[in-house]
Amino acid sequence: MELLNLSIRELNKLFITKKTKPSELYSEIFNRSASSEAALHAHLSLFEETNLDKAKKSDERFSKSENVGLLDGIPLAIKDNINIKDEKTTCSSKMLSNFVSPYNATVISKLDTEQTIYTGKTNLDEFAMGSSTENSAFGLTRNPWNTDYVPGGSSGGSAASVASRSSIAALGSDTGGSIRQPASFCGLVGFKPTYGSVSRYGLVAFASSLDQIGPISKSVDDARIVYSAISGHDSLDSTSINDEQIELPFEKNATIGIVKELMEDGISEESKKEVEKVIDILKQKGYNIKEVSLPLIKLSISIYYLIAPAECSANLARFDGVRYGLRVDGKTSYEMMEKTRAEGFGDEVKRRILLGTYALSAGYYDEYYGKALRARKKMVDEFSTIFKECDYLISPTTPTEAFKAGEKTNNPLEMYMSDLCTIPANLAGLPAISIPTGLSSNNLPLGVQIMSKPLTDNSLLDFSEMLEKELEFNSTPEGWSK
Amino acid sequence: MSKKFDITNIAKLASISLSDDEKEKLSNDLSVIIEHVQALSDLELDTNIEDVYIHPLEKVLALDEDTEKPSLTHDEAMSNAPKVSDGKFIVPPSLE
Repeated sequence: MELLNLSIRELNKLFITKKTKPSELYSEIFNRSASSEAALHAHLSLFEETNLDKAKKSDERFSKSENVGLLDGIPLAIKDNINIKDEKTTCSSKMLSNFVSPYNATVISKLDTEQTIYTGKTNLDEFAMGSSTENSAFGLTRNPWNTDYVPGGSSGGSAASVASRSSIAALGSDTGGSIRQPASFCGLVGFKPTYGSVSRYGLVAFASSLDQIGPISKSVDDARIVYSAISGHDSLDSTSINDEQIELPFEKNATIGIVKELMEDGISEESKKEVEKVIDILKQKGYNIKEVSLPLIKLSISIYYLIAPAECSANLARFDGVRYGLRVDGKTSYEMMEKTRAEGFGDEVKRRILLGTYALSAGYYDEYYGKALRARKKMVDEFSTIFKECDYLISPTTPTEAFKAGEKTNNPLEMYMSDLCTIPANLAGLPAISIPTGLSSNNLPLGVQIMSKPLTDNSLLDFSEMLEKELEFNSTPEGWSK
Repeated sequence: MSKKFDITNIAKLASISLSDDEKEKLSNDLSVIIEHVQALSDLELDTNIEDVYIHPLEKVLALDEDTEKPSLTHDEAMSNAPKVSDGKFIVPPSLE
């Protein structure tokens, strides 16, 4: 039985009918994750011993029919910027290489009540800053579809873990596309929920007005199950929302917008063709399709690369060698801080801190950060107007298929452009999902992104699941599919 | 948006010491990025900064009630500190 390819619902059914046990699944998962490490380096740590105990307790609950829900005994991988109590949270940074979290992130507390098993912590671009997982201080992760290529980022370890069947699903975080882009590069589903619908408490902050935790999974239904478990209001996060979900039309009376600016220059022909394939399916099903224009999307990289670094420079000021993390000695406190931050941060993190410091510095604040904030507000207004006409917006998830390791490391701006399609949803706080649609001529996965207005996460998942069934994308990376 | 980019001053504000090689490389990288974001300078914006919310859903950030709640213990809060003495963080002197 190919347990590792099954969905969460299918596995739960096998546990309930006693055709397999959580401990048997966990043994397979551990063997796979341990054996995939040499080729992929998806994980920074694996929790074998504690997990065997947890899996056996799950066995007992199923044997006594005391199991608690769909995620009982399901092994999930956790991005290493999310705190699990008494485990390391390194953020793939030398700064936090020895940091052991004294508390659980809210998403972990919620998954604990579901009796989920955590396979381990996954690799990421340092402090989630990057699009390829090459910015990790602990070595790059490789794409299971072709190890010459990157898995995307920053949640590249989580995506590689799920794609190589080293976990059933994973948590990532998404500030400018860090869930959706690696999911697309690895042939998976990646879901960034509405901003504020999943607590950020215990997620190491990068850019607080943009960061959001969400699932990476093999199917939309698996993403829905994980999202249902981790979402909800949390008083420990001041940006957490407590609003009811809004239901969107789902069948033929829904209107679909194709974002004109994300089908123009800078988007590969292959990425455009995937969107056209989806349009054809929707037309055949009788949906109303229209081209829509959001002119500010063309400036989203500029807006993002002022707001995100500004917030990053403030958030990462806490790493000063005093309370936690690395310390490099100096004769004075100031010298100690400067040396600690020089030694602890990698190039990309330094680049963004310096850019953010510049954008916030006296004399520049209004013309850089202030202007970016006002442009962001205008972009939010553009989306609000479009969502009066359309229920769902469709675009490519990424301008191209996955790129080769090392291809963009010397050109930061080119690397930033790989998030062109995903950044707008973060700036506007929208729910957005990437679903796999097909393979490129290089046999690498491609995907499309679907966005909808805030608080329509459940409708977006239902609509995406309908498309997923129509697309019938069943390809898996060779060597990891069984 | 065309003032000179002074990497030494920005690094000092960010409390990061940089080698001369790093200064040159980062200065070049940042100049390219800043040139790119200049695209915003031509944008006509009628929104006042006072009307801009930090929360993208335009929510006011929630304040917690001012009541005592369980939290980390003192030992837990100090557990990752690089240098501790008698329950306090130890740092080098501020002045030489």
